[in-house]
Amino acid sequence: MMKQPIDLQELTDRIMKELQERLPQRESVRQESPHSRESAVPAEAPFLEEAPSPMVPKPQSPEQLEEWCASTPARIGVWRAGTRPLTRAMLKFRCDHAAAVDSVYGEVKRETLEHFGLFSVDTQYGNIENYLKRPDMGRVLTDQGTEKLLAECRRNPQVQIVVSDGLSANAIERNLPDVYPALLDSLQANGLNSGTPFFVKGGRVAVMDHIGELLQPEVLVLLIGERPGLVSSASMSAYMCYRPRKGMMESNRTVLSNIHQGGTPPVEAGAHIGTLLRNMLEQQTSGVKLVI
Amino acid sequence: MIHMDEEWITSVGIDLGTSTTKCIVSRLRLARKSGAFALPRFEIAERLLTYESAVFSTPLLNRNEIDVARVMQWLEQEYVKAGIRFTDIKSGAVIITGETANKHNAKQLVHYLADRAGDFVVATAGADLESLLSGKGSGAERRSEQSREVICNVDIGGGTANASFFRKGRMIETVTLHVGGRLIQLSPEGQIVYVSEAIRPWLREKGFHLMEGESAAYDYIRLIARQMSRTLLDFLQGLSMQGKLLAVGRVPEAMPPISEMMISGGIGGMLGSEPPQDMKEIAVYGDFGPLLAAALAEECARSSFRLVRSEHAVHATVIGAGMQSTEISGSTLHLTPGMLPMKNIPVVKLEDGDAEAAIRLGLQIYDPVNCPPFALFIPAMKPVRYDMIRRLSESIVQGYRRLVPGCDKLIVVCENDMAKALGQSLMLRSAGELHIVCIDQVKVDHGDYLDLGEPIRGTMIPVIVKTLVFSGS
Repeated sequence: MMKQPIDLQELTDRIMKELQERLPQRESVRQESPHSRESAVPAEAPFLEEAPSPMVPKPQSPEQLEEWCASTPARIGVWRAGTRPLTRAMLKFRCDHAAAVDSVYGEVKRETLEHFGLFSVDTQYGNIENYLKRPDMGRVLTDQGTEKLLAECRRNPQVQIVVSDGLSANAIERNLPDVYPALLDSLQANGLNSGTPFFVKGGRVAVMDHIGELLQPEVLVLLIGERPGLVSSASMSAYMCYRPRKGMMESNRTVLSNIHQGGTPPVEAGAHIGTLLRNMLEQQTSGVKLVI
Repeated sequence: MIHMDEEWITSVGIDLGTSTTKCIVSRLRLARKSGAFALPRFEIAERLLTYESAVFSTPLLNRNEIDVARVMQWLEQEYVKAGIRFTDIKSGAVIITGETANKHNAKQLVHYLADRAGDFVVATAGADLESLLSGKGSGAERRSEQSREVICNVDIGGGTANASFFRKGRMIETVTLHVGGRLIQLSPEGQIVYVSEAIRPWLREKGFHLMEGESAAYDYIRLIARQMSRTLLDFLQGLSMQGKLLAVGRVPEAMPPISEMMISGGIGGMLGSEPPQDMKEIAVYGDFGPLLAAALAEECARSSFRLVRSEHAVHATVIGAGMQSTEISGSTLHLTPGMLPMKNIPVVKLEDGDAEAAIRLGLQIYDPVNCPPFALFIPAMKPVRYDMIRRLSESIVQGYRRLVPGCDKLIVVCENDMAKALGQSLMLRSAGELHIVCIDQVKVDHGDYLDLGEPIRGTMIPVIVKTLVFSGS
């Protein structure tokens, strides 16, 4: 007799539950730590950025294998069933892939923006499908957004901070609570003052140029979500530019990339941006010509 | 970005041993190791040995005092030969080893020399540190990185044998014994000139009788050398505890099982030589060293470990002191200009985020008159959140100001890559009143001593960690 077809969501839930039980219980340990409870970061998605534990049944040197597995987030030591991956490894892969896709389609929460005092403007991206197909439309603000900037923002600031979702809203949710306050500290420590910060929805890196034309900052730093990958869906970049304007060459931008808990440490990245901006102001340049 | 990618610094090592003194000059290349889109991270990328001095007999005024003037004169000559000036030297270490460390003026001498040998040359002493440096200089440390097994380096000089055990590039144990060439001194005619007090209990236990002024037969001295080698090797392998009679300081409860052994030092350098055939050949240096080397080679051949050649047998310790003692804190860091160099800062570990407890502990152990009295070490936390940085900096500033009110200098060492964030936060929380050095990328622990050199280009600090991890008892 044919079984009743089951709901896709229910199936996923069951797989996830099973996976949760089979994977090491590190996630629960992390949630018990006092720090994650207090932070403004939403509960981290399961399975991501976890050092996978080896699945090889009888390794010749378990110690060596552990060491290798701990040294990389790549999928090594996952074992196999015949010539194919184990269900667990396969599901983990699918799960990571899904998280990457979700990051692209996700949105930064209103509470997050409110928490950091950021108002929001849109680019001409329209919708996410269009955003993916038309990068050029993510580089220009809407007329409404332009008006809003001109109305709300201080002109000619020394430093302009801009935050944008880019290709990963998740990157902003996860890293802004660490990068942003450290960045503010570093501006203060370097004696720099900043203008009115805001958020750009549907932004591409070169949206810096349009904003530069409008607000005429001396330097601009854009914190933007990177294209998600299978290792991390929450990686952020900080693009920095001296006097951004239309027609700026990519080589004139300075970038600090791969900012996430498993890559460039977020707090230290935030703390270093102030030094880079100060260097740009002193040398009146950015990108490949900047001497650091 | 245009990176100022490279910088060379000159480093010296000076070793004042029981019987010999030597120095080396090396060049260390500091280079950026991180990509253009990552946080800057500088490391010592290359260590080149540029000059090795000849071996010089340690000049003594009498049995208990080193002749400082002659050592200084010799050093000046060596610098001329090496083609360097005092002002060229930016890092390095003077180490006093073996029995020389027991001379009356040893401590003053080593500080005196360190101050006159160049900028940021530091004074070091202690059997554990000597073991560590010799193990680094002999190449045992590096070899252990590529191996799964334990490599033991024994540096045998005139007065002591310093054993260091390495696994995966880290020293895991150390022990020092009174085993060395100059402990028994002989004339070419076979007369006993000197027997060190340090080995008398062992000689008695073994039933040997050696009296200064008497003559000894070749076979008798040979037997002593063999027994001494056996005692040393058995002790290092954990087979017999007779070596306790010869131990200097602490004896570990258990020895890590050795799969490879390196022998460095003066005795190590003689290992390949032909065994001495008669009393005259034994006493070429006026002691039983050559015979000890021959006996050791024989005994090693009978042991279960493999004996491997060390890269720099005779110069292992001095090379370790000159080339391997300096590290670079070259990541992002925070620094109030004008604070460095600083030497001999003890390290206090800040545990469970409790700054006040750590500061109180530090003030109990170390002299509160010094400013700073100690450096705070913050062990790894994962993940590093800004909230934690803020809380930590608030509690450190509060605690430090209240408990160390007279001192406006604060040194913090972080295990995590977060020194710049924490340093800036500390500076802001203290309203700029504290002068702060906050560094990371350096391995330290409670009880270590730190020397911090003058910053290079404002972004790199030469650091020498004087680890005393194994001297707990």
